[in-house]
Amino acid sequence: MRLQNKVAVITGGAQGIGRAIALGMGREGANVVIADLQGERARSVADEAQALGPEAIAVEVNVASEVSVKRLADQTFEHFGRIDILVNDAGIYLKAPVVSKTEEDWDRTIDINLGGNFLCARAFVPAMRKQKSGRIISIASSIAHTGAREFADYAASKAAIIGFVRALARELGPDGITVNAICPGSANTDMPRRHRSEEETMARLRATPLGHILEPDDIAGPILFLASDAAAYITGQAYNINCGTVMI
Amino acid sequence: MNQVALITGGGNGIGRAVAHRMAAAGMTVIVADFDHAAAEQVRAEIVDADGKADALSVDVTVAREVKAVVGDVAQHFGRIDVLANIAGGSFYTKRIDDFTWAEWKKVIDTNLKGTFLMCREVAPIMQKQKSGRILNTASNYGVTGSALRAPYSAAKAGIIAFTKSLALELAPDGVRVNTVAPGPTDTPRVMEKETPEGRRQRWSSAIPLGRTGQPEDLAELYYFLTTPESAAITGQLFHCNGGLL
Repeated sequence: MRLQNKVAVITGGAQGIGRAIALGMGREGANVVIADLQGERARSVADEAQALGPEAIAVEVNVASEVSVKRLADQTFEHFGRIDILVNDAGIYLKAPVVSKTEEDWDRTIDINLGGNFLCARAFVPAMRKQKSGRIISIASSIAHTGAREFADYAASKAAIIGFVRALARELGPDGITVNAICPGSANTDMPRRHRSEEETMARLRATPLGHILEPDDIAGPILFLASDAAAYITGQAYNINCGTVMI
Repeated sequence: MNQVALITGGGNGIGRAVAHRMAAAGMTVIVADFDHAAAEQVRAEIVDADGKADALSVDVTVAREVKAVVGDVAQHFGRIDVLANIAGGSFYTKRIDDFTWAEWKKVIDTNLKGTFLMCREVAPIMQKQKSGRILNTASNYGVTGSALRAPYSAAKAGIIAFTKSLALELAPDGVRVNTVAPGPTDTPRVMEKETPEGRRQRWSSAIPLGRTGQPEDLAELYYFLTTPESAAITGQLFHCNGGLL
C-alpha cells in the first residue's frame, strides 16, 4: 500500500472522478476526507471508503466560500491532525454561449473551479509547510488545451488551474511540497450526460484513438502515482489522461 | 504472464535504473547498450538480485543491427511488452557554427533515428500481440531549447512529435507510446564532468524542489507508464525535473 497512514482531502469526492480518487486512496491505505457540497452523497462515499480499512469522514463544503473551506480544514485537523494530500476536484460545468452567459454563472464557475483551488491550498499549505512534505493535485481538463464551445468559462477556469499549479509548485518546492495538475479527457461520469443523450455520450466516449472509454479509475490511477513517494521529483506538471484525444 | 522489457541505453544512468525498476516489478529485462560490458554488468546485478535479465550490444543508429537484435529478442523470448528507448546523449556543448556535419548527424541519429529504428522493428511485434508500451526519452531541452545543444534539442523535440504520431498509428492495436522528459539528472556520464557541489550551485536555485534528479526518480515514472494505472495514457509527454520546467 503506497499511501499507508497518509491523510488525503478530496474535494468533489462525492461522485464521479472524485469518488474514484477517494476510494483509490482508501485502497492504498490513506485516511480520507470526502469534501463535497453534497453532504449526503459524501457520507455515502465515506462509508464505502471506511469499508476498505482506513478511516474516512465526510465534510460538507462549498470550496468557493472562505468560511466553509476554513471549516473543512478545521475538521480535517481535528479528526486526523494532519494533511498529506490535497486533491482539488470540485468543479462545475454550465453550458451557454459567451454572448448570453450571465455574470452570475461566470463568477460561479470561476469561483468554484479556480477559486476553490486557491482557498483550499491556502487553508492546507501551512500544515504541509510545517511538516516539510505534501502533495497537491488539481483536476484541470483537456478543455484547458482545446477550449469547448459554450463552455468558455469552464475552459478558462481549467487553463487557469494549470497556471496556478505551476506558480504554486515554484512557491512550495523549497518546502518539499509537490503541486501538479491532471488534464482528463471526457470521462464516463454524469458530467458529459448532462447535455447529451446516453447514445450520443457513449459514441463520443468511444471515439478515442485508443478506442478505450475513459473511466474514473483511469484518472484515479495516475493521481495515486502522483500522491505516492514514487513521484517525489515531479512537480509543476499538467499530465494528460485522455486515451490519445489531445496531445500537447 | 511474464512481461518482457527491452531497454536501450540500459547499461548506464537512467537506462540502468529503469532496467532495475522493471526487473524489480518481475519483468524479464533485456539490457541493450552500445557498451556491451556495461549491459553485461547490469544484467549480472539484476540476476544477483534474483531478477530475470539478458544483455546484448546494439548500435541503435545501424538499421541492420537493430533489426537483427529485435528479431533475436522476439524469437528467444516470444514477445516484447515494453520498449524503453533510452540510448542517447548530447555528446557536445558548443555553438552551432562549430558543429561539423558528422557531429550533427551523430547527435540526431543516436537520439532520433535510433528511436525510429527501434520502434520500427518492435511496433509490428506489439501490434500482433495487440498490446505493448513504448517509452521514448526526450529532455527538458526538447521543449526549451538550449544554447550550445542545438542538435540535441532538435532531436529531443523531434522525439516528442514522433511519439505523438506513432501513438496515433498504434492506438487501434492497443499499443501505447509516451515520452519521458528528464531534467538535469545525476548520471555517471554527467557526474564525470561535474562536482556535486558545482552541480548544486548551478541548479539548486533554478529547480523548485532544490535538487537535481536521480536516475531512480525517472525510473519510477517509466515504470508507472508501463502499468495498467496508465491504461488511458498515450501520446503524452511526461516531464520529471523537480519543477525546473
